[in-house]
Amino acid sequence: MARSYLFIPGNVPRMLQNADVFEADALIIDLEDAIAAYEKEEARTLTAEFLRAHRPESVEVYVRINAEDPLFTEDLLSMAPLGIDGVVLPKTTLASLESYRNSLEKHNLDVPVIGLIETPDAFFELLEIARFPSLKGLLLGAEDLSATTGMKRRPGGEELLYCRSRLMLAAKAAGIRAIDTPWTSLDEEALALDIDVANRLGFDGKCAIHPNQVPAINDAFFPSEKELKEARRILKRHEETNSMRFSLDGKMIDKPVVQKAKALLQKAETYRQKGGKP
Amino acid sequence: MGKTFVAGTLESSDCLITLSPANTFSLDIDTVVHEAFYEHIKRVIETTLAEENVANVHLRCQDRGALDYTIKARLRTALKKYKEADDG
Repeated sequence: MARSYLFIPGNVPRMLQNADVFEADALIIDLEDAIAAYEKEEARTLTAEFLRAHRPESVEVYVRINAEDPLFTEDLLSMAPLGIDGVVLPKTTLASLESYRNSLEKHNLDVPVIGLIETPDAFFELLEIARFPSLKGLLLGAEDLSATTGMKRRPGGEELLYCRSRLMLAAKAAGIRAIDTPWTSLDEEALALDIDVANRLGFDGKCAIHPNQVPAINDAFFPSEKELKEARRILKRHEETNSMRFSLDGKMIDKPVVQKAKALLQKAETYRQKGGKP
Repeated sequence: MGKTFVAGTLESSDCLITLSPANTFSLDIDTVVHEAFYEHIKRVIETTLAEENVANVHLRCQDRGALDYTIKARLRTALKKYKEADDG
């Protein structure tokens, strides 16, 4: 479980070796868009040596690999044995997941994958993608999607509402993580608005492209004191009545509400252990 | 002048490795932490060269405070370029 996923370029030593001080719950070391074509080899080798010597222990570590061969296979085979929590697969489709699975099976490797959903086609096979074995989460890639579709991103993100909703529902239906796209400017007000939309829609976390974005994401995805207090009251009443159906302050409480309250408290405990709010 | 193979940068925490074919081994280390770390950097480079089975090269390491993993990675990348050129 993670609230914030911080992108770190795979070819910058000072970013890699300081990555665990930025307080992100997860890192995505980038071998794809952040790396120029002539630096791919350098980035892959640097990332591999870094992970062998200094893999951060307190955060989840993912690597965004390149989508097309020969870089796809070279990246995958270099990163898969390094104990990472998964790879992020750009431009994920059912066909690219099949290639991913075949490559892993051929080399007897097993690494979870986060599907980066950033092409129009992928939205029409999203549920099948979400239910693909080894898939750990769906990550919305709004920048590439905007470039392909002509969609224009604005603070508040009305233009993304359908894509966000569809991705979140597919992820929840498959029982995997829904991870929101990064906000790509450092405008704090617009970032706060973007985080709030993702949070209210039910996303589990959000990407950051700069360490300064991490605290706002972590705070927003940490359940509020009001939510926690309400969840504790629901569970207390549930224990007192020994029932999944009871009333509290005149409202009917049933099984899904009790389960949601349990999940919320569990989430808060997990984030506290990661060093979130006290 | 023979061909040179380069990897890394001169940014903080990085190093720039420049390698060229030679008949003997020679090493030139330029580091801001010469007194404290010259011997250590030399050992990291020599160990990596041995692991890669490379002996006779001229190698220059311009260090900007790189940790061992960075020196190894940059050297391995330069060596890979050198070997690919040699094979080609």
